[in-house]
Amino acid sequence: MSQTLTTAPLVKTPTAADWKGRFLAALPFIVLVLLVLIVTSRQPNFVALGSVRGLLESMAPILLLALGQTFVILTGGIDLSFAATASFGSVLLALWLPELGVAGVFAVLAVMTLIGFINGFVIAKAQIPSFIATLGALGLYSGLGLAISGASNIRISTGYEAIAWITDIRVAQLPLAALLVIVLAILISVAMRVLNRGKSFHAIGLAEQALLMSGGSTVRIRILAFTLCGLFSGLAAVMLAASQHSGGPTLADTLQLPAIAAVVIGGTAITGGVGGPIKTVIGALIIVVLRVGLTAVGVDPSFEQIVYGIVIIAAVVLTIDRSRLGVVK
Amino acid sequence: MSTPVLEVRNLTKTFKNVVALDDVTFEVRRHEVVGLIGENGAGKSTLLKILSGIYQPDSGEILRNGKKTVFRGVKDSAKAGIGMVHQEQSLVTSVTVAENILLGSEGNAVIAGIYNWRALNAKAQKQLDKIQSPISPKEHVEDLSFAQRQMVELAKALGVEEFSEDEPVIVLDEPSSVLEGDELEVLFAQIERLRQIASVIFVSHRLDEVLRVSDRVYILKDGKCVAERNPETADVDELHRLMVGRESSAEFYRENDQKHVHEEKVVLKVEGLGKSRAFSDVSFDVRLGEVLGISGVLGSGREELTRVLFGAEPFDSGTITLDGKKVRFASPVGAVAAGFGYIPAERRIEGIAQGMSVQDNMFLADPRPVSFGPFLLPKKASEIASQWIERLRIRTPDRNANISNLSGGNQQKVVLAKWLNSPRLRVLILDHPTRGLDVGAKEDVYTFVRQLCTQGIAIILLADTLEETIALSHSIIVMRDGEIQSRFDASPGNKPKPVELVQQMV
Amino acid sequence: MTTTSTTIGESVTTTRSALLKKFIVGAGPLVALVALVLFFAIASPTFSQPGNLSILLTQLSILLVIGVGLTFVILLGSIDLSVEGVMASSSLVFVLFATNDRNDFQFGLLAVVAGILTGSLFGLVNGVLHVRLGIPSFMVTLGTGAIGIGLATVLFGGRAPRLLDDGLRAWGVGSTAGLSNLVFIAIVVLGLGFFVQRFTRVGRYGYVIGGDEPIAKLSGINIRKYKISSFVLSGTASGIAGVMAATQLGVGDTTIGTGFLFTAITAVVLGGTLLVGGRGGVIRTLIGVAIITVLANGLILVGVDPYIQTAVQGLVIVVAVIASGWSLRRRVRVIK
Repeated sequence: MSQTLTTAPLVKTPTAADWKGRFLAALPFIVLVLLVLIVTSRQPNFVALGSVRGLLESMAPILLLALGQTFVILTGGIDLSFAATASFGSVLLALWLPELGVAGVFAVLAVMTLIGFINGFVIAKAQIPSFIATLGALGLYSGLGLAISGASNIRISTGYEAIAWITDIRVAQLPLAALLVIVLAILISVAMRVLNRGKSFHAIGLAEQALLMSGGSTVRIRILAFTLCGLFSGLAAVMLAASQHSGGPTLADTLQLPAIAAVVIGGTAITGGVGGPIKTVIGALIIVVLRVGLTAVGVDPSFEQIVYGIVIIAAVVLTIDRSRLGVVK
Repeated sequence: MSTPVLEVRNLTKTFKNVVALDDVTFEVRRHEVVGLIGENGAGKSTLLKILSGIYQPDSGEILRNGKKTVFRGVKDSAKAGIGMVHQEQSLVTSVTVAENILLGSEGNAVIAGIYNWRALNAKAQKQLDKIQSPISPKEHVEDLSFAQRQMVELAKALGVEEFSEDEPVIVLDEPSSVLEGDELEVLFAQIERLRQIASVIFVSHRLDEVLRVSDRVYILKDGKCVAERNPETADVDELHRLMVGRESSAEFYRENDQKHVHEEKVVLKVEGLGKSRAFSDVSFDVRLGEVLGISGVLGSGREELTRVLFGAEPFDSGTITLDGKKVRFASPVGAVAAGFGYIPAERRIEGIAQGMSVQDNMFLADPRPVSFGPFLLPKKASEIASQWIERLRIRTPDRNANISNLSGGNQQKVVLAKWLNSPRLRVLILDHPTRGLDVGAKEDVYTFVRQLCTQGIAIILLADTLEETIALSHSIIVMRDGEIQSRFDASPGNKPKPVELVQQMV
Repeated sequence: MTTTSTTIGESVTTTRSALLKKFIVGAGPLVALVALVLFFAIASPTFSQPGNLSILLTQLSILLVIGVGLTFVILLGSIDLSVEGVMASSSLVFVLFATNDRNDFQFGLLAVVAGILTGSLFGLVNGVLHVRLGIPSFMVTLGTGAIGIGLATVLFGGRAPRLLDDGLRAWGVGSTAGLSNLVFIAIVVLGLGFFVQRFTRVGRYGYVIGGDEPIAKLSGINIRKYKISSFVLSGTASGIAGVMAATQLGVGDTTIGTGFLFTAITAVVLGGTLLVGGRGGVIRTLIGVAIITVLANGLILVGVDPYIQTAVQGLVIVVAVIASGWSLRRRVRVIK
């Protein structure tokens, strides 16, 4: 090599980009606080127990779905089938609860986890883009659910006791199940910090090539991410079935967009590597508060979809890391 | 015609702390073939990128037919009549030959966005006729062989003729590396034909080919143009000597710390290793604490060889034996588990995990030394991380700093720490380990290499310069076009001269 | 400078297995179509009756229009998930501007234009957001699709507005020479699509960008312009499809596009247009659409649950993507 010149500076000083990063990381929390303040000013009983209970109840299934999706998005992928899979799970649950009781719940969770595993396996081994693979999975499980259920909801009467506790049990008048989900999110966050491979999902999202060339098994980590997404879809299915007293082939479909929005608004970047379960909790809270907020401010509920669409795009724009994208397709 | 068709004067280009081109001057005359030779890092590719408008020189001038010109981009270079046939294939395989030849310059064959196929094909045919190629403009590029595609690239390069009234200057960048047997003869015939309608710059690492085809030859070394020779009267030995860099002090490479390894046992044994279109019949041994240097230019197969050893690519034939056991890895996962390490040339993408902390980077390959079961031991991790920072003299605000903010040299040290952290490390592959590093960082790397040897780690080294290879290695193999040309013993006191290596590389 | 590439020594497709693969991808779909037609003709006597064939062609029309638009985006290597939302919005804009039972507008043909332009506008937004902000296409179109459904919901206002313009209704329910008018619209769209693909820069550069974007960039092509154009084409096609569906059903509805996105993607993939971009075309999409429609029609006649079809379509997408990407697999490769 030719001769080298003067020594390069040792360390770069924190740039404007770093400050921007810190601001963006705090933004979701700021937004949540602002939203709560705005809504409370319009609707003072917003912070009353009854209203908070309703909030948590509607948040819980969205949060479950969003937590599962968080694992996948952290790796830089996406699972477009997670809501349809949850619907499918609710159908299975409605069919199996009467005969199997509690065992039916575990059976459904097992099947959902397996579905997630298959998704991850196919994507990782065949090296195909996750959005198209899960788009196909969406069709597959949506179709199966519709076929099995005859395109109608199945009421759960016998066997309901196995999942009744989800809606019935209250702690300090707040739904236990919803609180458990939040606790679950905290546990995941702790696990990511405490386990030596806890940052694996982030690592794949940030530097998959380097991880591969360090001997890391990205295949295994990717499969795990999708498997967990499947498991959480199953949990969401159980919770939805409990609150709706039925299973249906489209039960969770309307939650697809809010759940993805929750992940993205919380600050997890679509490019992966940045984010986590706590951020997703904040994102889910923003989503449900936003819903209430819109009605409180007098916005027609039919505008909801428009708001989700705009919010998702805006959040993605803010958090996307273009430097790592290369050619965008 | 005394005015050269193309001339560069005092061209200089610097990247960060590396001088890629240093005051380069040369000229190309009408209807002549000028050869450019030089080993890795001599500056050939930078020079070509400047000529094609991709880079701008820091100083110096380019003259086209005696007139000063500035290329602000690729289009300017094309407008000046300079056509490049790149080393990497630059054809779009999803469309036809005609569309490729005229890509971006369809002219009046496309009016208001609407294609007139007859006109387009006719225009492309005109280009193909210049090189008397039988390829039809209607063919789809994906159906063509490598040699045919190269002909299309040549026709495309000649297309620059349409932009300027002057005869074109065609630059051929390593055109023969994808060709075999008869295809080579076809290429040489084409070059002869080109000579009548254009002027040619021919760049290749194959010295015999360059000498065969060129009227004059320039030799680049360390970014400088060191000599000009006439192939008919040139002495090949002299050319080799001219290509080689200057000597550096043995102290710089810590040569005194090198120990003999003849009696150590063999850690890695490679026999008859081959990978199609990359290398064949490669065999060598590496002993405990030995540094095996592999020399060769781009295309020699040495980069592919190291990736195969690390499990990043499959191989077709032969065996790899580690500590007496035959191994065949399905991926780097297996290789790392068995004891291989790899410090890659593409440090920012494959070496460091950008966005993660220095400490996290250090345990990327093996977190077991700082784990209890599946749990991380934060205190132990921070202790060990701090130790490495000290031992390797890594300059960082603290162990949790984002590794992307460190300088190249310090990043490389973190990568080194990553592998040294792994207790099972047996063989460490270093791929251009000092690339982009400043002098101080380079010296550190050399020191650590010596230390690794004393610890019994076997090292395979692909160095940036011949000097580095010779100084650091205990033995050297030279590769050319996928085969081992020769082996050298490089034990302390018995070092070969750079010239001897170059003779085998080109 | 060495560039350690993860693909070494890729050989050109002249080996026997490569030629065989090319043949399968090339002629396979057509052969499959012929085989399916023969199968159902034998399996069900109703299949080959002129009445059923006419129904088949009508079912094929709207899907074909969507497929043609989608093909341009997929050729780039991108995707458009906003189809259903755009169809919903266009159908409502169209009906609300034409003679309807909600308001006094009677813009006739201009209403058709308005509906179609709604689609074009969505396409423009998709393209601009994707190109200028660097958002992956699946994400952008997921968002705009939601906006499309949302906009349709707002326009819907609780009850579906009915289309009362008989002339326009005839497009959807009337027939000429025994075939539904929708078939002719679809043929025109297909013809236009083919023309664009074969004879215009938007079409040809789409292949270049989809085939090798870095090289396209080096050639000085304005990649942004052509990418955005492809998304506009897709949006416009969805707009046309929305209008067509509205004339067929006689209403504007938020659910008018349900199911079409999935089926259209399956059709494009089945026809042989690769999802990675650069290969395929609208004629291939025609064959893919035909296969899907024949399957749907035939399977119902034979008594198969239509929802199983959706499931199978999903499976087909996954298998097709696996198959087309199988030879590109490498040890050290990053696909998200």
